[in-house]
Amino acid sequence: MKQKKIRFLVGSLLIVGAIGYLITMGISNTSQYFFTVDELMNQQVSYAGAGLKVKGNVVNGSIQRDPNDYLNVKFSIEENDASLKVAYQGVTPDMFIDGGEVVVEGTLGKDGVFHANTLLTSCPSKYEAEKEAGKMHPGTFPQADKYRKPGLNKAEALPKTTI
Amino acid sequence: MNDIGEFTLLVALATALYGCVAYVMSARGNRIDLYLSADKTPFIVWTCVMISSICLWKAFLTDDFSLQYVWAYSNRELDTFYKISSFWGGQKGSLLFWTLLLSTYMLVVYFQNRSKNLRVVPYAMAVMLAVVVFFLFLINFSTNPFERIPLPPEDGRGLNPLLQNYWMVIHPPTLYLGYVGFTVPFAFAVAALLSKNLDDGWIRMTRKWSLISWFFLCMGNLFGASWAYVELGWGGYWAWDPVENAAFMPLLIATAFLHSVMIQEKKDMMKVWNMSLIFLTFAMTIFGTFITRSGLIQSVHTFDEATLGYYFLAFLFVIIVACTALIIIRLPLLKSANELDSFLSRESSFLFNNLVLLGIAFATFWGTIFPIISEAVRGVKITVGPPFYNQVNVPIGLALLALIGIGPVIAWRKATFSNLKKNFLKPVSAGIVMAVALFPVIPLGSRAEIYTYVTFVLCAFVLTSILTEFYKGTVSRMGSHDESVVGALTTMTWRNKRRYGGYTVHIGVVLIFAGIAGSQAYGTHTEKHLQLGDSFEIRGYTIKYEKLIAVQATSIKTRIIAQLAVERDGRRYWTARPEKEFYKGQNQPVSEVDVLSTWKEDLYMILADFREDESATIKVYVNPMVSWIWTGGWVIAFGTMISMWPDRLEQRRRLDRVRRQEQLFPSPAQE
Repeated sequence: MKQKKIRFLVGSLLIVGAIGYLITMGISNTSQYFFTVDELMNQQVSYAGAGLKVKGNVVNGSIQRDPNDYLNVKFSIEENDASLKVAYQGVTPDMFIDGGEVVVEGTLGKDGVFHANTLLTSCPSKYEAEKEAGKMHPGTFPQADKYRKPGLNKAEALPKTTI
Repeated sequence: MNDIGEFTLLVALATALYGCVAYVMSARGNRIDLYLSADKTPFIVWTCVMISSICLWKAFLTDDFSLQYVWAYSNRELDTFYKISSFWGGQKGSLLFWTLLLSTYMLVVYFQNRSKNLRVVPYAMAVMLAVVVFFLFLINFSTNPFERIPLPPEDGRGLNPLLQNYWMVIHPPTLYLGYVGFTVPFAFAVAALLSKNLDDGWIRMTRKWSLISWFFLCMGNLFGASWAYVELGWGGYWAWDPVENAAFMPLLIATAFLHSVMIQEKKDMMKVWNMSLIFLTFAMTIFGTFITRSGLIQSVHTFDEATLGYYFLAFLFVIIVACTALIIIRLPLLKSANELDSFLSRESSFLFNNLVLLGIAFATFWGTIFPIISEAVRGVKITVGPPFYNQVNVPIGLALLALIGIGPVIAWRKATFSNLKKNFLKPVSAGIVMAVALFPVIPLGSRAEIYTYVTFVLCAFVLTSILTEFYKGTVSRMGSHDESVVGALTTMTWRNKRRYGGYTVHIGVVLIFAGIAGSQAYGTHTEKHLQLGDSFEIRGYTIKYEKLIAVQATSIKTRIIAQLAVERDGRRYWTARPEKEFYKGQNQPVSEVDVLSTWKEDLYMILADFREDESATIKVYVNPMVSWIWTGGWVIAFGTMISMWPDRLEQRRRLDRVRRQEQLFPSPAQE
């Protein structure tokens, strides 16, 4: 009887151990440091080359697209007076606009430019953050110029609405 | 109307509080007068919450923007359909909706068990009322949906366009029905401990409740995945986001619970384990709500409100401490009557299934809270993303898949060699055949591809093992009853609903595994910036950008549509029309994807961007086997229906039990 119990204990512990091992390995292989821009700038240690996730707001007017390759984007993000240059290749999300909050994932180059392979904007279904706080949105369409329908001059169809 | 809504919420809170105390006192002191009085409260609470909800709905339907909540989530032009669903579009309403569902469940339990089992039921009602009290307290004093705006604005802000999707209308209620439902088995478990009725009575009484809640939770997860897939436009259906994890963890633990209670019913073992599992499930549902409400963990779809998070944390703390204490106090009464005999037995396969399910849940939990822990311990926020979950959960998930195949065919107590040979010959052969057949045709370059290969082999093994069970049962019934194949299969399933319903659910799970494996390993995607008339190729499809169309769809919605011709083998195969929609009053466009779904693969198109010169950026995904996941979901739904269907034999057995019990312990009301 006793022996059986021990065997089951050992068997279960093996499973638990294997899962624990997987979790530990997973954490050490895949984890990324998460900083806001100012936190990253104030770090004593250099995180160049390490997997990073950085949060900040897009600096107004800093979004530059390569005229020959539309998917090649350069912009800066800032938080509390610290700013960081970011290079990104790919489609940008709908919410990627001046002043918007973004999270970039990638590595920091030696030149101080952050090479992002993922660009996340905080989702609008952070439903009410601002609304609950009583702040009001300007409620305009983003970059109305950019989205103006070619030819048909749809400016009236995309009106500026303020609440 | 709004005053009535606000007032009834207060009345509900007071009544629930009274009912909670009165039920406990009546059960402890055998006081029938108190019991009769307490027994009126569930109905009163439900009525009050219902009236209040109707008031809120009415405010939405009549565009009453004097309510801050209505102003924030609706506007005059919104579809009636979405006006109704705006009710749970935000924080305040969703808490009220939650309370409405919970008190409705409570009312059903009340009618089901009226003057039955008076040792246990009053405690269970008290526990449910306590949970209702918590939510009503939040609604009344922290996030009141009837908060006014002194000067009502002309029009509302409108519902977030991302939420204007039919999946989003049914996904939250489904998930809530699942979340809230686990309160019932939880309440009965606590009641069993409090009243010392520690046989499997509470499990039998709440079996249906557990199944229904599990079903809704499962469907809620799948609906959420569907919504993400068709609406969020990133080509995937699951991102291991904290909020998704919050819905996934209770599902895993509840699955473990559903399996291990079978062992308690059949073998009278694992009593402490089952108690712990149901407590953990309930705690996880509260933890999930805490994550979505607190904004503590960065996620894309949380509601931000810090104070509310603390209330949930406090509630969670109370639940965990109280439950742990209760189990420890009653430990002497929770002894198992039997113990495990052999590694190679059905019992131990259940044990391993439980460990594996909890393993996945724990890995998910750890990944979710890791940023907080690392910040507290090391002062640096370290996050883990999808690679972590895939790396950890895929191997554990494969072990689980293998167990699905082993469990139903391995013998109870102790499997002998001849028994193993008899039962496993066919499934293992099928696995080997699959392995050999796929080896030359499937790429095996990366880790993901090898995992997928293993998944397919295991799927063949599991499917054969389940189908063999169906086959054996049908053949033996045909032999003894002279029935046709279909007739025998149906009668057999009908007479053993739990068993064959369960197997059907397993088939659905296998399909989901296959779909996930296929879509994760063999998918491809590309993004192109195209001028009118440009074309490119992906996986044998030629995609040509034909034109850009602007449509003023309604007074609040403008659609910009890109038309693309998809050719295959030189023939026009499909016309894709991905679009971007602009809503009045919202400050971002919404991408509407276009998907052509076949059993082999989905062709998934996104209009990522367009410019004045009518050039457009198109993103294309080829996602193999995604439709298998949704098919698997329907199979699971069908299987759950079978095993939930009322069983007259089962009911008669249960009635006998209840009667016996009441003779043994005359209830206070009869004395």
